[in-house]
Amino acid sequence: MLLYYSFSTDGMSYAVFYSAPPSFSTGPLLSLSQFGFYVRPWREWKAAMALPLPDPQFVLRGTGAPVNTLHFCCRNQEQDKPLLFSGSANGAVHVWNLRTRRTESVLEGHGGASVLWVQTLNSRDALISQGRDLRVCMWDLAEGRSVVTDSILTESVGFCQCSLLDREGGHWLLAVPGADMAAVRVLDLPSKTPVCTLKPDANLGMPMCLKLWQPDSGSSPLLWAGYEDGSVSLWNLSERSLLSRLACHAEPVMSLDFDPGKLRGVSGSSEKAINSWTLDGQQSLKLQDSVELVNPGISHLCIREDRRILATAGWDHRIRLLGWKKLKPLAVLQYHTDVVQCVAFSDHDVPNKRLMAAGSKDQRISFWSVYNQI
Amino acid sequence: MDSGPLAVRLAVRQCINTLSTSRDITEVTEALRTAGRYLSGTEDDPPACQREEFARTHYTRLLQFLTSNLNAHWLELLTPEQHMDLWVSLFLNGPPDQVLLVLLDCVNSCSLSSGLERSLDVLEYFLQRGRLSALLWATCQGPPPANSPQLRDALLSRLVALPDLLANRLQEHTRPAFQPLHYYPLLARELSVALERTCQALRDGVDCSLCFVAQLLGKACVQGHGKEMFGVLVPRLSALTQSDFVWKRVCWQLVESVPERWMEGVVSGLVQTVDGSAALSSLLGNVVLKNKKAQFVITNKLLLLQYKYKTPMLQSLLGYLAQDRGRRPLLIQVLKALCGTWSSCSAVKHSPIEQQLYISKALLICLGLLRDSEVLEHREELLQCMLSGMQCHLESSIPRVHRLGMVVGESLSARLDPGGTRLQFQYELDTETKELLSLLSPPPAHQQPPETLPPDSRTEPPPKSPSSEREEGKAGVPAARPIKQHSSDSELDSDDELTPYDMTRDGELGGALAPRYIRDCLEALTSSEDPGKVEVSLGAAEGLIKKNPAATREVSVELVKVLLHLEDRFNTQGFLRLRQRAMVSLTVTDTLAVTGYLTTEFYSLNYSLRQRLDILEVLALAAQDLSQPTSANSAPSSHKPPPLIQPVSTETAPDLQGTAQHWRQVVDQRIESKTRRFGKGAPRTGSSASPSRFAPVAGCFFFPLLSNYDRPQVTFDLLGSDHLVLGRLVHTLGVLMYFAVNAPVATQMGKALLDFVWAIRYHTDPVVRQGVLFAVSAVLLSVPNERMFLELSDEMLEARAWLGDVAEADPDADCRGLAEQSLLLLEKILKKSIGSPSPLGPNGQALQL
Repeated sequence: MLLYYSFSTDGMSYAVFYSAPPSFSTGPLLSLSQFGFYVRPWREWKAAMALPLPDPQFVLRGTGAPVNTLHFCCRNQEQDKPLLFSGSANGAVHVWNLRTRRTESVLEGHGGASVLWVQTLNSRDALISQGRDLRVCMWDLAEGRSVVTDSILTESVGFCQCSLLDREGGHWLLAVPGADMAAVRVLDLPSKTPVCTLKPDANLGMPMCLKLWQPDSGSSPLLWAGYEDGSVSLWNLSERSLLSRLACHAEPVMSLDFDPGKLRGVSGSSEKAINSWTLDGQQSLKLQDSVELVNPGISHLCIREDRRILATAGWDHRIRLLGWKKLKPLAVLQYHTDVVQCVAFSDHDVPNKRLMAAGSKDQRISFWSVYNQI
Repeated sequence: MDSGPLAVRLAVRQCINTLSTSRDITEVTEALRTAGRYLSGTEDDPPACQREEFARTHYTRLLQFLTSNLNAHWLELLTPEQHMDLWVSLFLNGPPDQVLLVLLDCVNSCSLSSGLERSLDVLEYFLQRGRLSALLWATCQGPPPANSPQLRDALLSRLVALPDLLANRLQEHTRPAFQPLHYYPLLARELSVALERTCQALRDGVDCSLCFVAQLLGKACVQGHGKEMFGVLVPRLSALTQSDFVWKRVCWQLVESVPERWMEGVVSGLVQTVDGSAALSSLLGNVVLKNKKAQFVITNKLLLLQYKYKTPMLQSLLGYLAQDRGRRPLLIQVLKALCGTWSSCSAVKHSPIEQQLYISKALLICLGLLRDSEVLEHREELLQCMLSGMQCHLESSIPRVHRLGMVVGESLSARLDPGGTRLQFQYELDTETKELLSLLSPPPAHQQPPETLPPDSRTEPPPKSPSSEREEGKAGVPAARPIKQHSSDSELDSDDELTPYDMTRDGELGGALAPRYIRDCLEALTSSEDPGKVEVSLGAAEGLIKKNPAATREVSVELVKVLLHLEDRFNTQGFLRLRQRAMVSLTVTDTLAVTGYLTTEFYSLNYSLRQRLDILEVLALAAQDLSQPTSANSAPSSHKPPPLIQPVSTETAPDLQGTAQHWRQVVDQRIESKTRRFGKGAPRTGSSASPSRFAPVAGCFFFPLLSNYDRPQVTFDLLGSDHLVLGRLVHTLGVLMYFAVNAPVATQMGKALLDFVWAIRYHTDPVVRQGVLFAVSAVLLSVPNERMFLELSDEMLEARAWLGDVAEADPDADCRGLAEQSLLLLEKILKKSIGSPSPLGPNGQALQL
């Protein structure tokens, strides 16, 4: 089949094909003449040409428990091996070598309590992990060591993940859900001195997800928090004040991510919808867009570094990819057989080697290569 | 001066003589002018005493002479101006009562001629020129002359019945001005003019009597013209009485002077027309306290006996009672009477639902009007009313009565204990309940009558409230979005670089796997704790039951037992329907065993009413399924007789047995799709006959249900308090009867059913009575006609008398309608069986379950 020419009329593009009807002739074909010319709307033609679904690049098994969280560490891979840290429900943090696709080491520091969150501090040798034993542990992994150097008592029994913000001069800010169910504590690392405690006046329920953000212009760091009542709030850490609040879900906010470039964020809840919102000049939040899902429940979502796509981990065992610009649905990846708990994008230096990983309750971590060609 | 009367008499006689004899037009006009001078002389030409004398004794005679000479030759000789000035003015300037009487007499006695036309012309002038108001005003002046009650009566009846009198005489030639639609508003206008003059006279210190006017109003109302009269009178009067006390007094006097026998018409007419309690209060005054009849009408008849009136009338009536301190005790009295009716079991059972609604409304309005101190004072009685009334209403099997009871009970308890514990029910908020609840807050008593409002304030659009503006402001954010989207639409192609993958497989996430075998399904339903699995099993049950009848028969009774006891533990969507469909298909598949089980369980211990109702519903639906002709897909090539029990429809699940599709069918379909027919008529749907599957088993459904009804159990007393189930049972029996049409056993069934319903045909619950009537019509439809008259003739005769009785006298409207239909059916059957001995089956009749 040959594309003969295309034309556009009535605001619609058409393509004229020569030769036999295409094999995917699902739509109505209009015969131009008896010589084998076919016209069909361009969009339909594109839809019919949609790419077949990709399969995972590879899958890691062997955590022995549902995978709760993932963290890539792939920079400078010329010198170092690319690593992936995964935290699972049996309390172990696995360090995966992505070149050999095998476990480098297993860190057991939370006494068997589920690991909620892992993150590296600046380099691959310093790791921070949060477990449900109410502790946040600091690890020293340099030169093959695997020792807990320090730990913080979080006192929070919820499932809310911590958030880490790198500040210059070897300091970090760590936002931790507080002992008081509604509060969030912010600490300075490594000194562990409390910076502030943020507690909303209204009853919003527990914080469900946190994200620290350092705006370029202002000196004061800000904190995004999603609450149990479905609202997303923005806090100013230095003034300890609530800047803005948006009730964007009817159910608890399960996860949120924010794009500082466009001042636009996205949140998912246990509902059948993903909502995106914007922050305007007056620091007030406005609901912008909403995407309807087929099945309810988003456990985690993540915007890729290049801000082109958004990935969501769904309770319906599926990973969804959406174009970040307009939240256009791009793909529904099906591999897992249980709830997908987390998604993460790798930080490879070479863009087209970037991977997306997803960890699921079915104890597997799947790796996908999607939209890497520019 | 005794020469006065004589002079007048002489002049009149001379005048009459001239008119009767003279042929000279100048003489005639002179005579007419002379007579006219007595009526409208400018100066003292005829002295005042002579004029009075003329009006009193000679005027009528002159008029009679004139009307008897309507065809006189000189009338044609007069020019139109002379005719108007001299002749017509004689009628228009004199005392109007005499003119009216003479004219009406003349119209009555005159034959159809130009003379009659002339008199009608005069009468029309008379009405147009406002002579009626002069007449009415004349009757208001001074004390009524004692000498002429007959005259007054005659005048009264003629005034009120003028359209009728004229219509009797003129038949269809009556003029528009004399038709009731024109005449009564005119009369009302003239009446208000007379009242206005009365007011003026009262202000000037002259005594007036409103007796005649009140009689006129009363008589017009009692003859059914109250609506037209009050339609004109009430808006004027309510506008005038608002501020003016003299007007108020005149209105009160007017209402109070209405004779006893006409009081009801006036009061009820007023109450219906007046808008708002304040206006009603200023029109009626305290007549309710002064007049026994008015009191009876207002506090009793309009509230407790009649129920056709609209809610605003109730509000203004009760508001009227509540407005004045003197009338307040009457409000309490009314409240007690309403409470008594509301809480009376017999009233709840026997009065139509519309009346109950009306009484509930009145009760709620009363509650809204009551002061807290009054509530405290009568707390005990109200509490008693609430307790007994709630019980009566909740015992009723009609949902609407239930709801009424709940709404009123809630409001009562909230009023009795504003802060404390109160009744709370769960009911749907439909328009009726919302209306009822809104009645609790009384409308503003001081409503502005619409006349005083500036007329264009109604047509103006309501000013934008700040809240709506705010909403628009809010909408501004999403409104900005399309623009933004549009701008990003221009970037469409740049976003398109991310080609979407195929997303067609993104479907709903299925839960647990559906069971494949009926035994798995049974197991899941009995023992599974997984909501998804139970849900899927329940959904799959019907298909499984139909797919493998042989396997189903092995577990049918067990499965139906499980289904009957299944509870909606997981709040499954469509639970009731799924369960019911599964039970119905079980019954259809294994009829004998399952009906045996269900019919015995219906009368056994320890079932809830809901379960018993479910059993009845399942039996009825199964009967319907069985009686429907099977889809003619049972391959005609296989000559085996269709089995007694088979899947209801093989068409519905073609994919289940796609492989089993006969090759012949496939070939036929292909040939059909390649064949083109010209001039093809209507598609031939040769509905092949097949024996009814219900006929052989109808008895198994029917007779066990009839066997035990009079043996009360501890938990189930069919003839006692469980009349809802009784109603459903009778209805179900009727349904079974209907589906047993053309079955051999139908006659026995009909006989048994008639015997059964005969005992309960006067049941107090309308639901049961409706069931009985339905069952009777089912019998009429299903039993073959000739059998009916051979074996059931006595019953039919009795039933006919009873149906006639019900159609006339039953308080429930549905019952009456059903009885009428049954009666019609019966008559039709009678006629048919007398006319032609070969009766037809009622196959064409549609029946709704």
